[in-house]
Amino acid sequence: MAKKSILFKVNGKEVSIEVTPGEMLVDVLRQKLGLTGTKTGCREGECGVCSIILNGKLTASCLVPAMKADGSTILTIEGLEQNGEMHLIQKKFIEDGAIQCGFCTPAMVLAGKALLDKSPHPTREEIQLAISGILCRCTGYQKIIKAIDSASKAGN
Amino acid sequence: MAYNEKKIEGNAAELAVVGKSRPRLDARGKVTGTLKYIADMECLDALHGKVLRSPYPHALIKNIDTSKAEALPGVAAVVTAKDVPGRNGWGAIIPDQPVVCADKVRYVGDAVALVAAVDEKTALKALGLIKVDYEPLPAVFSPIDALKSDAPKIHESGNLITTSRVVKGDAEQGFRDADVVLERTFAVPFLEHAYLEPDIALAVPGGDGSMTVSGPMQAPFTTRRNVAPVLGIPINRVRCVVTPLGGGFGGKEDSPIDTCVRAAVLAWKTDRPVRIEYTREEIMLSTCKRHPMIIRCKFGAKKDGTFTAMEGTIYNEQGAYASLGPVLPPAGGVHAHAVVMLAGPYEIPNVKVEGYLVYTNHPYGGAMRGFGAPQSNFAHESLVDELADLLKMDPYELRLKNAFKLGSRTATGQVIDQSIGLRETMQETRDLFGWAGKRKPTPDPAQARRGDKRTGYGMAIGWYRTSIGTTADGCGVNLHLLEDGSVIVYQGCVEMGQGMHTGIAQITAEALGTALEDVRVVAPDTDSVPESGPTVGSRSLTLMGNAILLAVQPIKESLMQSAAELLETSVERLVARDRFIYDRDNPDDKLALKEVARRCMGMGRRMMGQGWYTPPTATLDPKTGQGNPYFVYTYATQMAEVEVDVRTGEVTVKRIAAAFDIGKAINPMLLEGQIDGGIGMGVGYALLEKVILDKGVIQNLDFRNYLIPTSLDVPEIDAKLLEMHNVHGPYGAKGIGEMPNIPTPATINNAIANAIGARIYELPIDSESVWRAIRGATKK
Repeated sequence: MAKKSILFKVNGKEVSIEVTPGEMLVDVLRQKLGLTGTKTGCREGECGVCSIILNGKLTASCLVPAMKADGSTILTIEGLEQNGEMHLIQKKFIEDGAIQCGFCTPAMVLAGKALLDKSPHPTREEIQLAISGILCRCTGYQKIIKAIDSASKAGN
Repeated sequence: MAYNEKKIEGNAAELAVVGKSRPRLDARGKVTGTLKYIADMECLDALHGKVLRSPYPHALIKNIDTSKAEALPGVAAVVTAKDVPGRNGWGAIIPDQPVVCADKVRYVGDAVALVAAVDEKTALKALGLIKVDYEPLPAVFSPIDALKSDAPKIHESGNLITTSRVVKGDAEQGFRDADVVLERTFAVPFLEHAYLEPDIALAVPGGDGSMTVSGPMQAPFTTRRNVAPVLGIPINRVRCVVTPLGGGFGGKEDSPIDTCVRAAVLAWKTDRPVRIEYTREEIMLSTCKRHPMIIRCKFGAKKDGTFTAMEGTIYNEQGAYASLGPVLPPAGGVHAHAVVMLAGPYEIPNVKVEGYLVYTNHPYGGAMRGFGAPQSNFAHESLVDELADLLKMDPYELRLKNAFKLGSRTATGQVIDQSIGLRETMQETRDLFGWAGKRKPTPDPAQARRGDKRTGYGMAIGWYRTSIGTTADGCGVNLHLLEDGSVIVYQGCVEMGQGMHTGIAQITAEALGTALEDVRVVAPDTDSVPESGPTVGSRSLTLMGNAILLAVQPIKESLMQSAAELLETSVERLVARDRFIYDRDNPDDKLALKEVARRCMGMGRRMMGQGWYTPPTATLDPKTGQGNPYFVYTYATQMAEVEVDVRTGEVTVKRIAAAFDIGKAINPMLLEGQIDGGIGMGVGYALLEKVILDKGVIQNLDFRNYLIPTSLDVPEIDAKLLEMHNVHGPYGAKGIGEMPNIPTPATINNAIANAIGARIYELPIDSESVWRAIRGATKK
């Protein structure tokens, strides 16, 4: 298969990497860039634990051929902490008890960020909708919704 | 039981760490993505293991030709039954499941060959090159059919695994004494755990005849005692390393044995590390599920609502292998628990319950959050609710009339002599929900058919044991105080998201008088931690908490002796709290605990403690089902509001309120997380989830077709915690992990009935069931 070099920006850094046509973005992130905070749970876009922010939009990275990511800007969970300081949403997830097994947590945090970036003061329904593409089997979603709401309220 | 006579509880009024909502210790690693699950870690020379699975539900294996697969470049080993070095069988209770099937397959997904290759692609290609000749056998897909005398025999021992019963008083006489008798039959399906982290194991041969297996596992000691005989080596040569779990819910009690024994056999044969990772489809196809059951349930009551008798029969479908179904004496195993729980948390003078656990050619049932109780609860709570309608009583009042109180005698004759807050949870939930002002009597169906949308209110109550009902229930810990005052806890109970490591760190900190931040709980590794039992049955925080309180004692003696010398006072006058030790009458003159720890070290005083706790002995007579099967119970009440679309049958759960008697909330915030999650999962059991089988073949093998609740399906949950001190628990605690998951389906079912005036007896309650029930038709 023809390899192709792609150039994209991951967590603020320019990255150039060779990928093959069958390769999915989630595997490039995890295996080639070592960004294992992005998880895989079903590899068909249903569970959402592989979600990242791609060009500002929450996206299941297991459904994106790596070649399609050429020229894109990507934020993964590893890019949220700045100078050792966690993002407000991360802090609220901890304080509000929104974390259990942690397997969906990176995706949920990013979903919260993607939402608050667009809509700083969402309603409960908007938060529910924003995280509805990510499955969580542990929390019943209550405290995740609460944490995103707390971050929204503490944001400004 | 000398241990249990010791008073192992603290003084609630003076607690500094226990009872406080503290963030979980692993939170930062999880929220930043730093924490490594095993799939995030590389093992450079690991081979990839794959399993060839049977397409038949029941067939003889006539021949297996592996020559082409073995010849494929990159294939390191192909394993069939003859290559299993030791016992070709595994299982949490009975080792009846082949590592690799020798002559017969018993369900679609059974393993017939294993392959290890340099990469996944080669391993998959090799699977395709293995030629298996099968001779299909007649198969059986229901427990009732499997009990017929001419049914195909799935195992040599026969299809009936066990019969469990509970007999109290004289049920026949009790029904004669009743004014109203109601009997119904309920059916519940196989359920998938749907933990998000796929099953995965890495087996690494030690080169010295030992084997290390790593992966997410709830029961490392159960895994260890399966890997060793499969390899034909002593247990001390198997090391199980628990890596962070992305969910478990009972499923990872069983499935890690599956992946670990298979990876270990491949690693043994190749003398190289082997990694086995199941795909989502493979997990759904082949790993354990919640048991499906057909439950006939009958209650008799006087006009005033007093229960006179209860009778039930459970046809419990085990599927192809025994897993956690059979009786682990006296009252362990899913089946015994379902039978014991079927009478509900009600005082009933006459009870007769019989349950048959039966093999079929379906996937197999294992542990799943509630261990038989969710099934039984759905039956008795739906039935009691309908009985209230018949008696023209408020279902709240009918339940309250019969619910356990202090001194009640259960169906097994056990006297509930402490830590009983069931009625209190009912009253609290009623007030929280506003039951009295909301719920109207259930309408007649004709009236309910009018209009587009109807609202209903329902409730259910429940009980759940702490621990597992077997005498083999010891729980050990080694606790070390280090010279800088920090503490390390070597123990084998597993953190799978529920928060128990944070909880036991709080208990440790409280008991030693130090801070939560100073306690580290190691991830279980069977080479360095004592036997602690499986992390199941809502047992771990309670049993491990008690073991820790025992382990703390010698360390505390060293600390107090050293502190007494430094403060020139007597040991009896000292208080250890919040990292300091001081004379109770002179709190300003305090010593830092770390200084005292340094003195302990300097004086050569004992700085380690060992705790071993065994709960009060479980008893249950196998013939009568009488005894004290479990030593303490958690109690709950749930109430729900639903809206039913009369045109489509669609159900929306608008709100759930609940209250729990949990003994003592060691960490209320994490405990609430268990409640939210358990109820959320219960919403799935009620309305969405079912493994769909057609002639033994699962039709919904992925999350596209097997639906679990999303953030749009779980309503807002209001929950209240009640603390009825458990004398057998650390600081009065008892279990919580499973309780919230249990009454939710009946709560929702009863709310639907209250909306539409018709009853449903089968899970899940999908739109079609509701649509048909509204129109008085049965589901096809």
